[in-house]
Amino acid sequence: MQTDANDPRSVTAAEPATEGASRPVATVRGLHLRLPGGVHALRGVDLEIEAGEIVGLVGESGSGKTMLGLSLLGLAPAGARFEGEAWLAGTEMTAADSEARRLARREHAGAVFQDPMTSLNPTMKIGTQVGEAAASREAVVEALEQVGFPEPERRLGQYPHELSGGLRQRVMIAMAIARRPALVLLDEPTTALDVTLQRTTLKLLRGLRDELGVAMLFITHDLAVAAEIADRVAVLYAGRVAELGVPSAVFRHPSHPYTAGLLASRLALAGGDRDGELATLGGEPPDPRRLPPGCPFEPRCPFSREVCSLGLPALVPSPRHPGLDACVRAAEIAPELEAGAARALALAPPPVSSAPEPAPGVAALELRHVEKTFRSRRHEQRAVSDVSLTVPEGGALALVGESGCGKTTILRIAVALERAGGGAVELGPGGRPQMVFQDAGSSLTPWMTVRQLLDERVRTEGLGAAERSRRIDETLAWVGLSQEVATMRPSRLSGGQRQRVALARAVIVPPALLACDEPTSALDVSLAAVVINLLRRLRRELGVALLFVTHDLAVARAVAEEIAVMSAGRIVERGETDRVLREPQSEETRRLLEAVPSMERTWR
Amino acid sequence: MRILGMLVVLWVLVTIVFLLGSVVPSEPARAYAGAGASPQVIAQKRKELGLDQPLAVRYVDYLGRLAQGDLSESVHTHKPVADDIAEALPATLELLFAAVMITVLIGLGVGVATARPRRGTGLLRGALVAGASVPVFTLGLLALFLFYYKLGWFPSGGQVSPGAATVSGPTGFLIVDSLLRGQPEVFFDVLWHLVLPATALALTPALLTARTLRSSLRFSLRQDYARTARAKGLRERDVLWRHALRNSLNAPLTICGLELGGMLAGIAVVETIFAWPGIGLYIDRSIAAGDVPAIAGVTLVTGIVFVFANAIVDLLQLAVDPRLRRLA
Repeated sequence: MQTDANDPRSVTAAEPATEGASRPVATVRGLHLRLPGGVHALRGVDLEIEAGEIVGLVGESGSGKTMLGLSLLGLAPAGARFEGEAWLAGTEMTAADSEARRLARREHAGAVFQDPMTSLNPTMKIGTQVGEAAASREAVVEALEQVGFPEPERRLGQYPHELSGGLRQRVMIAMAIARRPALVLLDEPTTALDVTLQRTTLKLLRGLRDELGVAMLFITHDLAVAAEIADRVAVLYAGRVAELGVPSAVFRHPSHPYTAGLLASRLALAGGDRDGELATLGGEPPDPRRLPPGCPFEPRCPFSREVCSLGLPALVPSPRHPGLDACVRAAEIAPELEAGAARALALAPPPVSSAPEPAPGVAALELRHVEKTFRSRRHEQRAVSDVSLTVPEGGALALVGESGCGKTTILRIAVALERAGGGAVELGPGGRPQMVFQDAGSSLTPWMTVRQLLDERVRTEGLGAAERSRRIDETLAWVGLSQEVATMRPSRLSGGQRQRVALARAVIVPPALLACDEPTSALDVSLAAVVINLLRRLRRELGVALLFVTHDLAVARAVAEEIAVMSAGRIVERGETDRVLREPQSEETRRLLEAVPSMERTWR
Repeated sequence: MRILGMLVVLWVLVTIVFLLGSVVPSEPARAYAGAGASPQVIAQKRKELGLDQPLAVRYVDYLGRLAQGDLSESVHTHKPVADDIAEALPATLELLFAAVMITVLIGLGVGVATARPRRGTGLLRGALVAGASVPVFTLGLLALFLFYYKLGWFPSGGQVSPGAATVSGPTGFLIVDSLLRGQPEVFFDVLWHLVLPATALALTPALLTARTLRSSLRFSLRQDYARTARAKGLRERDVLWRHALRNSLNAPLTICGLELGGMLAGIAVVETIFAWPGIGLYIDRSIAAGDVPAIAGVTLVTGIVFVFANAIVDLLQLAVDPRLRRLA
C-alpha cells in the first residue's frame, strides 16, 4: 500500500532542502514537558536547528535528550503536558492535533533509534519497511544506495534478522532519509554498534548531510562522538541546556562545571593509572520529580556557592567561548575549569603499569585450544577457533574485537553457559564464576525486590537469616546503594542503580572470577566510570579476577592490564594493555584504535 | 521432523485408546451378543472377536486392522464404525469449520477493537469476561431459548429444515455439495441452521483468543518498531494493522490451536442440544450404549483432527514470523 504516491504534498517533500539558507528547520522556545507521575522532563529549553546543520545533544541519561527529540517529532508519551513551543518546519508540535503532527513527521522528519534490531519490524521485509517512507520502489532502491547498502535490488525481500547489525542500521537510516526530510532525529544511533561500525556510520551521516542538506539532531552520551559529527553541541542537564556552542570550543573551553565534569570522566587511551579512582561526577542527576529551586547541578557541583541555589540560571553568552552557558559563576571559575579541561584532554605519557602483580602459576581461568562451531540445519558457523588464554588469580584480561568476533562466545564458554566444541576449560579454585551482563535491567527478575534478588544468591551459602541480611546490607553499601533501594523492584531503579544491583548480586558471594559482558557500554560516561571504579575495588579488596568483554578499547584499558584482541574467532594479538595500544602489531588492533572517536584527532 | 512428531502423537493416542478399551468394565462380547445371552454364546463371541488372546497379540492385531482403516463394528448400529464416522464426520467438520471462522472473526475483531484505549472498551471487556466464563451447554440452551423460542429467528436444531430439499454427494459436505449442485436454497438453509450451534461452540474460544490478541497487540504497540512506524508518519491504524498485528499473532494462534481441543469436547454437547447429525451426536449415543469400538473410533478421529489442526497452526506461525523459519 503506497498510500501517498498521488499525494501532492509528497512532490514538495521530494525537493532537496534549500542549500545554505539559514532558515531554521526546527525551533524550540521555552519548552517545558511534564509527564504523568510528576516528572518535569524538560524545563525551558531553547534550541534552533538550521537547515543542513547537525546539532549534537549530549548529557547523562535522564537529562531529557530523548524527550526533547520525541517532542520535536510530536511523539511524546501519552499524558505529556507542554508549555512553550516546538516548531518542526512550520508546524507547532506541542499544540497541533495528532493528524497534523503525523503529517509534519511524514513530510519533514525522519528518525533513527538506538537499536536497529528492535527498531525494525522483524516480520516485514526491508523493502516494504523502507517503502512505507518512500514514494516509489525506485526511491526505495535509491535511498538504500545512498546509505551504501550493498545490492539493494536483490535484498529488498530480506527480513531484518537476515542482516548484520551494521546493515540494519543502514536500513534505518535509508528509511529516515527516503523522503528527503528537513530534519532527522538520531537517538544514540551508534551506541549499539562496535567502534568500527560506529566510525563508518558517522562518516555516512556526514556524507548524507553534505549531499542532501538534511539537518540532524544527534543524541549521544559520548562526547567524542558529538565532537566528531556535530556542528553545534548542546549539553543538557535536568531538562535544561547547560551549555551550547561549537564542539571544539565547548569541549576545549567548557564554561559549565557539568560539561567539565563530563569531560573529566571520559576514559582515555593513555594516561592515568589502573589503581586509583576514575574521576566521576559524583552523585546522580536529581530526581526529576523533586528538582532543586536553583541550578540543578548545584548539589553535585564542586564550585557551588550560595548564589547558585537562588534561582534557575539563564542561558547567557559564555565568558570562554562564542557559545552560551547557564552557570552564574562561569566567569569566576573559568581558570579552574581551564586547567581541569586541559588535564582531561591532555595526552599524558603512558603510565607505568601498577596493576596488582598476579601470582604466577595460579590461574583463575585457563582455556586451551577452545573451539566452537554453531550449527543449524543449513548453516555451520565457526565462532571460535583454537583460542587459548589465561586469567591469573586476581588478574584481569580484556577481550576486545568487533561484533561477531567471538568474544562473547568465549565468555559464555568460560562461565559454562555454552559448551566448548573442543579444547579444555579449567577454572581455578574458588567455585563457579559469576557474570555481569550488558543489559542489567533485563538480567534482574522484575517481580523480585533487590533484597530478594541478593538473598537468593546468598542463600546458597547456608547462612542464618540475620547473617544473610547483614551481608546484603554490607554489599549494598559497598556498591554505593542506599538501604531504601533494597525494598524496590528493578523497574523503579535507574540504569546506574540496576547495574550496581547486578554487580552486588555477582559479588555478594565473592567469586574467584567475574565475567563481564560489556557492562558499561549502555551507560553514560559518568556511570561507566562508577562501574569501573567498583570493578577496580573488587580486585583490590577481594582479589577477584576479571574476564572483561568489550569493544571499547578505553574501557578495556581502564579495567585490565592484559588485553587480547580477537578477529574472526581467533586471538590475533595479546599482551600488556598499554603496550598493545601503544604499539599495535596486528592489523585488527590498528583498525580498532583508528576507529575510536577522539576529540584530539577530530580537531588535529 | 514435524510429520514424525505427529505420527508419534497419533501412535500414543492409538495405544491409549486400545488400552482403555481393554480395561473398561463393559464386556464387548456381552454387548455384541445382546442382553441375556448365555455364557456359552458370550465365550463364543469372545473367541470370534479374538478377546481370548493375550494383550500383546490383540494390540498387534488392532494396529494391523487400524492400518487397513478397520475400526471394527459398532455395537449399537451394527455397522462398521468407520462407515458410521464417515457418514457423520462431514457435518461435524462443517460445524467445526464454521466455529473456527467465527472464532477468528470475533477474536480478531474484538482483540483489535479493544487494543487501543477508547471509550467503552472497559465495559466491552467486562462483558467479554462474563461471556467467556459461561459454559457451552448453558450458552447453547440460552441461545435456543432466546433465538428460537422467544424470537424465532433461528431453527431449533438439525442440519436442514424438515421436509426441505436436500442434496447428496459428491463430497458429503452439505454446504459444498449444495453449491456444487447449484441449489442455493439448500446452502442458505444449512447456513441458517449452522449459526446457533457454531456460535455456541465458538464463543468461549473466540473471547479467549480476543483477550490474548489484545494483550499481544498492546505489547507490540509499545515496541521500538511501532515507534519507528509512527516516526515515519504512518497513521495509528496502519501502525496497528501493518506493524503490530502480524507481530502479535503467535500467542492467539497457539490459543486457537489449544482451544480447538475444547471445541472438540464441546461438540458432543452442542450437537446433542441442536440435534446436529455429526460425530458428537454419534458418540453421545455410543456412550449411552457402552459401545466401546464406536467410542474408540470417535476418539481416534477427533485426535487426528486435533493433531492435524495444530500442525496447521504451527505452519501458520511459521508463515507469520519469518524468524521462526530459520529455527524450524
